[in-house]
Formats: sequence, structure tokens, C-alpha cells
Amino acid sequence: MSNQPLITRRTALLGAAAGVLASRTAFAQATSGPIRVGVIMPLSGGAGPQGQHVTQAIQSMAALINAKGGVMGRQIEILARDDESVPAVGVSRANELISAGVSVIIEGWNSPVTLAMQPVINRAGILDITAISKADPILSGEGNKLAIRLNSSNAQDGAVVANYIANIAKAKRVAFLTQNDAYGNGAQASIEAELKKLNYDYQKVSEEKFPFTQADFRVALTNVRGAKPDVTIAINANEGLGMPALIRQASQSRLPGQLVAAVGTIAPSVIKIAGDASEGLIGADIYFPDVEPFASNPRNKEFVAKTEEMFKYTPDKFMALGAGALEAWAQAADEVKSLDKEPVANRIRGGKFANTIFGEMQFEPNGQLKSQHYLFTVKSQKLVVDTAKG
Amino acid sequence: MSSALKWPAAAILAVAGFFAPVLLGGSPAVYAALVLIAIFAVMSYGLDSIVSDLGEVSLAHTVFFALGAYVTALLSVRLEFNPLGTLAGTIVAALIAAGLLGLITLRLREFVFSLVTYAVAVVALTVASNWEFIGGSDGLRGIPAFEIGWLGFRAVGDVELWPVAFLLLLATLYLMRAFRRSRLGQAAIMVHLNPRLATMSGIDPQRTRVQVFLFSAPITAAAGWLYAYQRAYVSADLLETYFLILMLTAVVVIGRRLLLGPLIGVALILAQEKFWSFGGYVDRIILGSLLILVLAYLPGGLFGLVQTLAEARRRVAARSRSTSPHTTARKADA
Repeated sequence: MSNQPLITRRTALLGAAAGVLASRTAFAQATSGPIRVGVIMPLSGGAGPQGQHVTQAIQSMAALINAKGGVMGRQIEILARDDESVPAVGVSRANELISAGVSVIIEGWNSPVTLAMQPVINRAGILDITAISKADPILSGEGNKLAIRLNSSNAQDGAVVANYIANIAKAKRVAFLTQNDAYGNGAQASIEAELKKLNYDYQKVSEEKFPFTQADFRVALTNVRGAKPDVTIAINANEGLGMPALIRQASQSRLPGQLVAAVGTIAPSVIKIAGDASEGLIGADIYFPDVEPFASNPRNKEFVAKTEEMFKYTPDKFMALGAGALEAWAQAADEVKSLDKEPVANRIRGGKFANTIFGEMQFEPNGQLKSQHYLFTVKSQKLVVDTAKG
Repeated sequence: MSSALKWPAAAILAVAGFFAPVLLGGSPAVYAALVLIAIFAVMSYGLDSIVSDLGEVSLAHTVFFALGAYVTALLSVRLEFNPLGTLAGTIVAALIAAGLLGLITLRLREFVFSLVTYAVAVVALTVASNWEFIGGSDGLRGIPAFEIGWLGFRAVGDVELWPVAFLLLLATLYLMRAFRRSRLGQAAIMVHLNPRLATMSGIDPQRTRVQVFLFSAPITAAAGWLYAYQRAYVSADLLETYFLILMLTAVVVIGRRLLLGPLIGVALILAQEKFWSFGGYVDRIILGSLLILVLAYLPGGLFGLVQTLAEARRRVAARSRSTSPHTTARKADA
């Protein structure tokens, strides 16, 4: 490994030296028996249900891979940890998994948690794959020069929402309800940048910011309502609590104009909690288990069936991203015949993978998975895909 | 214990503490856990001097913690200062911030004091989340490894960082002990317990309060300094309630004015979080409930409870001895 811990001082202290020996022992243990794959997601709190689903999807993908012989002839063992949506806790969990000798860590629901964990995992020389978190700095290379991310980037998402505002809704008065953190602010900035690129003439009539944990949006919605927007963009990654609450309260407050959810923030579980209030909601996403081209993809069918069999749940986009992360890593490790960070990361970054649940997966050289976006409307609590957008 | 034996005993304890990671198995996870315990304990000791000695509950100590981390990130990333330079910058920044906060809260007491310090923390969180100069909501990335070139010391991970964390903890313990034995420490307690008597004794309560703040803030900020290197990323989450509840609980749970109290408190809380975690929400409910329980019903903390129970047991035993038939018979014989 290129980033082995080192002590350059000749008079290295006994305790530290013993620790280094212990870490090498742990690594040696990790080279035989099952391959350990770390998963860090929020398993409790507001995003807990979604984090649990992503973890389950990774487990079902691991079962599929193990049934076909595993990776390099070894079975995969999933070690899951709860980051509690708190960066400090995420860092502790990352250290636990590093110590447990994992070969790769699939992480990331909240961008601040991912940004906090990235340098710690990177320094330990472990491959880090971000499944969901969207903040742009994740791929900047500052925290991890070999970063990989599956969820679409804020820039890609911003283009889709900007296109909806300018070319489909033709909205002139735009309001933003934005989560005030690395993800939310980045998402809003991307939409505004894309609208600027389109030279679209519009007015930002309201902008309300809130923390990730907020569940009461009535004051913010009253302000937005007073601004009479044509379109309100809701950017809220708290799918377990904040986003359903926002949708319900927007409906109760009779918010004028069209409510549009930021790309990738509407899982079926959000609609289930929001209920009838979600009727007519517009959103966009990159994966739907039962819509073409996914519906007829044999690998996706296999994954959906396995997840339904193991967990009695039809996978959503987030779950597919988690499973896709494991799938890409497993194919890459098998091909390069190594579990080391650098060769596997280099195979994934800029690489293509055939026969995956997304069909052909293609990564950009900076580690970002290329995505195809699809607009949808919520009708009778179902996601109805309207138009394919590239 | 006689004073002649105290220093050798402390030295033995210190050596045992240094080798604690090895004694606990020496795995990187043990080092990571102990480095965090040391950092968060130092963070809590700063607050301890305000809560236990001055008798006020500061809710702004996360600001000093975050300040230390942000100053370290800014100086190391943008000006390439080494850890000693960033530590000096951290201490200066903390002294300025503490001086300002001390002056603002000079005449405030109890819940008004707590409310104002809470407001300061809320303002700081908002500023940190939105001010682009300090990274805004993205935070500051790219903090280099802890490296002191002229010593040939470079700490890439927690194993190598442990000696630094342990030294910081030892220095903090020494400072806390010295503070409590100093005139300032005695004055703080007198201002806390009897402000009128303090004034009559020639102590200026307002000056004492500012001085205690000036002592306290650099300690908590120094924890932020090391945490920035340990995590290599600084963001507004340092001002979230997670750290505030952690340090408040650590200060009161074992008992106030106990030198090892915050250290044991942090160790217990992190052990619960690591080994007996019930998930984010439940853990916070547990911590919050513990805080309420201790503040409302156990002013002496768990140590006070143990002392009370032991005392009660001694009294019961003494009473039963004095009233038992055997004793009565022997008395009669006599």
C-alpha cells in the first residue's frame, strides 16, 4: 500500500511501534478468508431508513456476487456501521472499519459526513467509494486523490432542473428551499449556474435555508408563499424526515406554483410518508427498477429479485447506487487481481463495466459515474417517468 | 497519600497511561479511540473550569473548540504553518475570543449567562456555515499531516498521533491541577460560592470571571487544534450540539472538580457510543437524559452518588453494630 503509516523519528516510541505492528497484523489477517467490505451509512436518525435500505441492497449484491464465486475466488463479507449523520461519528466508524481490515469502504449519504471521512480513509490507504453524497468537493482530490462517486453530481443535476425551469415550466419566478450545507448550497449553486449558462431570464423571488435536521418548514413556506413563485425548488437530503415533512407542509400551506424536488431526493419511502401531499410533485432521477432500460436488463432483474427475496423491498435509486458501487468494485478487483487501492481505483476511474444493474457503467476520469436523468411526476403515490433527459 | 509519594505515583500513572493502547491490544482502532478520548477530554477540561469552578454553564465552548480547528486549518492550508505555529495561532485567537466573550458576559449570571453563550454558539454556527472565507458549508479540506520537520516527527495516523494527544492531555491535567491550587482558582470558587464574601475579601468577581475565561478557552481550543490534524477536515459541524452535549455531560457525569472526572466521563460516553450504541437518536436521548438526571438530582455526579451510598452503608453498618443483640449482650456482660 502506498500510504502505509510511518514514523520517521529514529527514537520512535515503543507504544507507537507496537501499534504499527498490530496494524500490519490486522492487514495480514485481511489477506486470507473472506474479503471484508465496509459500509458506512446512517442506520439511525432521519436518514436511517434509507441508509438501512442501501446497506441491504449492498448485502443482496454481495449475495449475488458470492453465489457466482465471489471476488478473486473469495467470498465477500459486509461490515456495516452507522454514521448517525454526524461527521465525528462517521470518522470513528471509518477508523473501526480500517482497523477491521476492510479492503474497500462504500460510504456516504450526507456530504459533510463523507467529506470528514474521506481524508481518514485515504490516509489509511483504503479504497473509498462514495455511493450517494453529492457535494462537489468530494471529487476535488483534496480529501482523496482517487475518489469515486456513483450518484450524479450537483452539476449534472443542476442542468436537469434548470432545463425543466427554463424549457418545460418556463417559470419566471423561482424560489429555493435549500438545506444549508455542502450538499444543499452546492445543488442550488449548480441550478443557478446552469440557468445562467442557458441565458435564461428569471427572478429569484425567495430563498430559505435550513439545517439538515429541520422538520418544521412552516415559517419558511409562509415566506415563499408570499413571494408567489411559479416554481419552488426543494433541496432536502433528509429523506426520512425533512423532505416528507416539507412536501406535506407545502401542500397544507397551499404553496402556489409547482413544487420541484431536487434530483435524487424522492425515494418511494418519501412518497409513502408524504402520502397524498406528494401528488403532482416533479422530480428527476437516474434509476427506476421497473422502467426501461432497467426493466429488461437481466442483471437488474436479478438484483431486484434478490433484494425482494432477502428484504421484501423493491430497490430504489439509492439502493441501486450502493449495490452498483459494490458491483463495480468487485469487477475491477477481479480484473486487476488485486485488492489494493491504487490499481482498483485506476481501473474504475475512467473505466467501463458491462453487464451491471445500470447496464453499462462508465466512469469519468475524475471518478464520477456518468448518468442518464429521467424526469418524473408523482401520480397516485407512484413515480411516473415523463420524459427522458440526457 | 503523602506528598512525597504523590509525584512518583503520578509518574507511574502517566507511564501506564502512555502505554494504555499497547495494554489494550495495540490495534489501530484502540489508538483511534484513545486519541479521540484524549482530544475530547481536553476539550471538556476547558469547560470544566467554567462549570465546576466558576459555577456557570457556558454553551459557547464549542465556539472555542471550532475556533482552534478553523485557525489550524487556515494557517496550515493557506500559510503552511507547522503544528507549533498553528498551536500558537490557536492560543492567540482563543485568548482574543475569550476576552471578548468574557467582557460581554461580565455582568451576566446563571441562565442569562447560559442564554447569551448559547446565542454566541448559534451565531458562530451560522457564520461558519455561510462565510466563504472559512469554507462555508463545504468546510476546509486538505489539512496536512501533523509534522514537525526539525524533530523528524510525522504523524500520518492515530498510532503516530497518540504521543501528541497524550502529551496534550498530560499538560491539560497539570494546568487544571495548578489552576485549582492557584489564587485564581481559589478566587473562582469563592466568586462561585459566595460573591459577597469574595468582594469583601478583596477579590474582583468580574476580573476573576474574565481571567477564568482566558484560562479556559485556550484549553478547549487546543483540543480543536489537534482534532483538525486528526480529522484533516474542518467544517461547521464542530459547532453542532454533538460536541456541546458530549463536553457538558463529560464534565458533570462523574462529578465536578474531580481532576480525572472529565477524562473518565468522555471515556464512558465514547465507550457507550462505540460498544453499546442504540443509534443516533436514542444515544442522544440517553446522553440528554443523563445530563438532566445528574444536573437535577446528582449534583455530585456518579462519584458523589457512590460516596453517598458508601456513607449510608457505613451508617447502617454502625447502627446495626450498636443495636445488635450480640453487642447489647456484650455491653451487659461488661
